[in-house]
Amino acid sequence: MSDPSPPPDGAPGRAPDRAPGRARTGTPGRAAALAQPLAGLRRPAVLAGAAGFLVLLALPFYLGAFWLQTGLFAMSAAIGAIGLNLLTGATGQLSMGHAFFLAVGAYGYVYLASDSGPHLAGLGLPTPLAFLGAIVLAGAAGGLFSPIAGRLRGTYLGIASLALIFIGQHVLFNAGSLTGGFNGRDVPPLRLPGLAFDDSPGLVLFDVPLGALERLWFLGLALLVPAAWTARGVLRGRPGRALNTIRDREVAAAVMGVPVARYRAGVFVLSSMYAGAAGALLALVFRRTVPEYFGMFLSLDYLAMIVIGGLGTAAGAVAGAVFVSALPQLLTRYGDDLPLVAAPGSGGVSPAEASRILYGAAVVAVVLFLPGGLLGLWSRLRAAATPRRGPRRPVPRLDEEEQPA
Amino acid sequence: MNGANSVDGANGLTVTGLTVRFAGLTALDGVSFTVAPGTVHALIGPNGAGKSTCFNVLSGVYRAAAGSVRFGGGELTGLAPHRIAALGVARTFQNIALSGRQTVEDNLMLGRHRLTRAGFASAGLRLPRARREDARHRARVREIARFVGVDEHLGAPAGTLPYGAQKRVELARALAMEPSLLLLDEPVAGMDGGERRRMAEVVLAARADLDMTVLLVEHDMGMVMRLADRVTVLDFGRRIADGPPGEVQRDPAVVRAYLGGAAARGTAESDAHDAHDAHDSAEGGKGGEPG
Repeated sequence: MSDPSPPPDGAPGRAPDRAPGRARTGTPGRAAALAQPLAGLRRPAVLAGAAGFLVLLALPFYLGAFWLQTGLFAMSAAIGAIGLNLLTGATGQLSMGHAFFLAVGAYGYVYLASDSGPHLAGLGLPTPLAFLGAIVLAGAAGGLFSPIAGRLRGTYLGIASLALIFIGQHVLFNAGSLTGGFNGRDVPPLRLPGLAFDDSPGLVLFDVPLGALERLWFLGLALLVPAAWTARGVLRGRPGRALNTIRDREVAAAVMGVPVARYRAGVFVLSSMYAGAAGALLALVFRRTVPEYFGMFLSLDYLAMIVIGGLGTAAGAVAGAVFVSALPQLLTRYGDDLPLVAAPGSGGVSPAEASRILYGAAVVAVVLFLPGGLLGLWSRLRAAATPRRGPRRPVPRLDEEEQPA
Repeated sequence: MNGANSVDGANGLTVTGLTVRFAGLTALDGVSFTVAPGTVHALIGPNGAGKSTCFNVLSGVYRAAAGSVRFGGGELTGLAPHRIAALGVARTFQNIALSGRQTVEDNLMLGRHRLTRAGFASAGLRLPRARREDARHRARVREIARFVGVDEHLGAPAGTLPYGAQKRVELARALAMEPSLLLLDEPVAGMDGGERRRMAEVVLAARADLDMTVLLVEHDMGMVMRLADRVTVLDFGRRIADGPPGEVQRDPAVVRAYLGGAAARGTAESDAHDAHDAHDSAEGGKGGEPG
């Protein structure tokens, strides 16, 4: 450390501009300097994104119910994982309580949208309003916990938030008129004006009849895309820099003017709202909410998603969510052909257990070999495939410096 | 708002009777000094003298047990760090405290935090207001990076830079706050001669251009003599000298604190301090040898 290799900036040609106060009015070259890297980076990424989105839009016309359901689980998980990645990946605040906020979203939607019956309470709100209400409820629940979330750091918050799981499970099993108790509640389908997200006949597009899953697929996309886009904006903007610095150097963040507790509380509320949206979407896909689903294992699944996918980015959360939520589905489907995986209840390793073991191994592998997760692997592969492009000039040189091997 | 302090020119710092205790240890014991607006003031002393503790109180990281810190007409003790930052107090850290995974540019943009407004909603939705703000401040941050000489590293993760460059990024981040009071904690520790000279030039130029007051902790006496208008010397949490650099350098108490027992015997001061001085020499020896 004490003997730094002399950086090349001692070169005589690079006399620094000695007047930061003077140039405040603007220099002519600035606009060009700003536009250049953006134009270089944006184009292919935008094209690839648009193509991917079109493929996703076309998929329900070709896929069967199994794949649609798998995809919908993945989309819901992706929204929830983005929320957790804002909190845990970007801010370094561990949360074991994510499943609790998913439950608030799922049950909140059911409660707000259902009509009040003899045994079950409900508000009977229009379902789109109930969906938004579920997100707000989850945010409010996060807000109630945020005085704690703002004051506790990292793993300490993880331990405190564990309490939420137990409180949540207790309420879900025992507040019968609200939650339906052990048996859970039926989920009223979402109804937009002119479009109901259920199996009502009559919606045929390109000669393909669109049932509930196909319609929900589009709903899922309509939720996931803005959710990811917003999270990306937050992470790349002023709040994201503050959150990342709280994670990396808490004292420095505070000294640079970041109100640390307020940001921790704020990101906790935001993450809860993402979980609420994920929970409400999940309820719509399941069509029934059951309490034991929202236990500690769900929270652990979400942590596995962001670790496997890549900490701190929306794209990493999506990648991890697809991996972790598709794995048990695939094992259930193709379990017959795999050794050691038995049908549920037959005594062997069930697909759910097998998938937990598998992505437990995946978490270990990622931590040991892929610090950036699936996303990090992807960008490493891409860097290897396209050697040295213009705008990223300084990075490769520094990489070499970092890894002398 | 509080930002008014940075324009009225009254950005002098007055520290009075500052005392900090950590469970049984008195790290600062009634320290007082005054930093005139627009000057460079150095805080020196052997390791463990309480310089960094003093910085941590000034920036709100530690709470003072007693005493007051007044800056630009307001009281700083008792304020949270981000409120002190909002008054225009910036600092660098002795042990680099950059966010290693973020790019240099993002690290510098964090310095703009107090000057910008975009929140979760406006950044998430990319409202025009947030985008304009971002572009404007990015342009300014690039100027500052050029000024400090780290512009070629803007796109690199801060953690991958060599040590000297990271030190300069820290300074740039502090300057990005457009501070009226800049606290520099050993800005040239571990740098070679050329880097030190360049750092001194940057600090002086920045002070002149931005109308800042600078408080500097430094072990490198050459650097202190070159930069400082006035010097306060601490030893074991107490102020032992205060004055212009040339005067302080010749002060027998300072010589004793830095050179320890040998010098003390030479100047034949009171016996009562001998044990204390012997301890000093061990600590001071390390402290006087920067990097």
